[in-house]
Amino acid sequence: MPDIITVDGLVVVYPDGTRAVSGISFSVEEGEFFGFLGPNGAGKSTTIKTLTTLLKKTSGKVSVAGYDLDKSPERIRSSIGVLSQETSLDVDLTGRENLRLQGRLQQLRGRALDERVDELLKMVQLEDVAGKLAGRYSGGMRKRLDLASALIHKPKLLFLDEPTTGLDTQSRAAIWDYLEGLNRKEGITIFLTTQYLEEADRLCRQLSVIDRGQLIARGSPSELKGTVGGDSITMTLKDGGDITLKEKAKEIIKSVQGVTRVLDSDGGIVAYAKDAGQSIADIVMALDRNSIHPASLGISSPTLDDVFLHKTGRRIRSEELGRRETEPFLM
Amino acid sequence: MTLLYDVDSLLQRYLTKLVRNPTLLATNIVTPLLLLFLFSQLLQKLSVFPGVSGSYLAYLTPGIVILNAMTCASLSGVSMVNDLNSGFLSKMLLTQVSRPAILLGRLLSDVSVSVLQSVITILVAMMMGVTIAYGLPGILLILAIVAFFELALSGVFLVIGMKSRKTETISAIGSVLFFPLVFVSSAMFPTSFFPDWAQTISRYNPVSYASDVARELVQGGLSLGTLVSAFLVIGAISAVTIVATLYQFRKVIS
Repeated sequence: MPDIITVDGLVVVYPDGTRAVSGISFSVEEGEFFGFLGPNGAGKSTTIKTLTTLLKKTSGKVSVAGYDLDKSPERIRSSIGVLSQETSLDVDLTGRENLRLQGRLQQLRGRALDERVDELLKMVQLEDVAGKLAGRYSGGMRKRLDLASALIHKPKLLFLDEPTTGLDTQSRAAIWDYLEGLNRKEGITIFLTTQYLEEADRLCRQLSVIDRGQLIARGSPSELKGTVGGDSITMTLKDGGDITLKEKAKEIIKSVQGVTRVLDSDGGIVAYAKDAGQSIADIVMALDRNSIHPASLGISSPTLDDVFLHKTGRRIRSEELGRRETEPFLM
Repeated sequence: MTLLYDVDSLLQRYLTKLVRNPTLLATNIVTPLLLLFLFSQLLQKLSVFPGVSGSYLAYLTPGIVILNAMTCASLSGVSMVNDLNSGFLSKMLLTQVSRPAILLGRLLSDVSVSVLQSVITILVAMMMGVTIAYGLPGILLILAIVAFFELALSGVFLVIGMKSRKTETISAIGSVLFFPLVFVSSAMFPTSFFPDWAQTISRYNPVSYASDVARELVQGGLSLGTLVSAFLVIGAISAVTIVATLYQFRKVIS
């Protein structure tokens, strides 16, 4: 498949000097479900705004849908659909009127417009409420209507900036279903940014991990998780407070074949192993021979958060929590 | 053709929004009528003064009509701020809409509101006994002046809106400009009452130019000089505000 997006050395510096994107290069194949995963402020929105012609780049070469960003921004706009992070609907218009307006602005008219509006209202399951003011819609309904607007001119490439941020689980699942359908059944290439690990993992076939304006990893979710070096085995001991016992247990686990690393974790122990299913049995038996008994035991596959941790020494999640903690408490 | 289609699409959007906000629509229609009633009742006795040939109501009507153009002009700025801040403008910019249509649709919508207000104001004044010296052609010319004046002033508020991105700034600057411009002009009161300094300001105040020509169309005795100078003054303001608006709009959309 040919590339539908190519980005070479993209730099975006804001007028105030903030270097939001510092020299990233990547490409996206036609028909791909591609994701940008990174924490808040990593440069995801800036990249999407630049690629969709809304923001001027400082330097670098960008081609979208076969057109050069500098030479033909209008042609790029006509071949892409964009779902921005903030839902932008006219709250004084009904769902149908919003969609019709969007269609008219995309130069649809007459029966083609009517048919496309009906088709999309059906797809996002808003037919029943199409005559209600968009201002009365729930967050999930607004997002669905916005998604429909982004699709009105049948773009072959769809950009989505954090499409499910702030949505409840049910609405999120609905958006996921639509996106998977669009990509699989209609062959629309999707470029999505997200800070949700689960979203990136479930939807994207190709991922780039972005942090502080730079790409730090790239691959399919399973390839990326493969770089962590095995599954993790987490356990706590019956006599958890006993330091010497814990140290002894760690020594024993280290000696088990297949275990690559053993670390302390939240009062328990975490071990990484290539074949955790085999290793966990060996670990339990080895501990038992020394009369050490685990209180709890679990295996988990590596997550994309482990990938981020591996590359940056920080977690995507904990960074958000950390920020909240340092915020002053206002009375 | 794209331009016309897009202007029509956006005009429909704005007019639908207006109809959906009955309070806003009612306020727009009631406010000029309220001013017309209040001032013409309170200041009835002004009819005996020089400069007011005939009733004070007949003097006041063209002034209120010009005032409509001024209040509508600030609407343009407010709606631009709303579209900027809600992300709706970005969404429009991502479509194939012709860029000038975004401004034109907005301006036409505000012009139609000021014309509608003025038609109602004139009709009510006529029911109260005012006769329009030049009849229907006179009324149409007054409406043209209102539309043109509204267009000239919209630019001021569009620029303020695009620069500040705050509706509060628009209403603050709007009211600071509004009162001196309206009261130190011939719009509401005959200027012969004014102290010399105020008469001087009023003579150069663009609101006076617009009011004077509208007044001559109502009361009779239209002179070519008043008509030409009003169009020249409004034209000059338009030239400045349109250039400033286009400049600022280009900055916003790039």
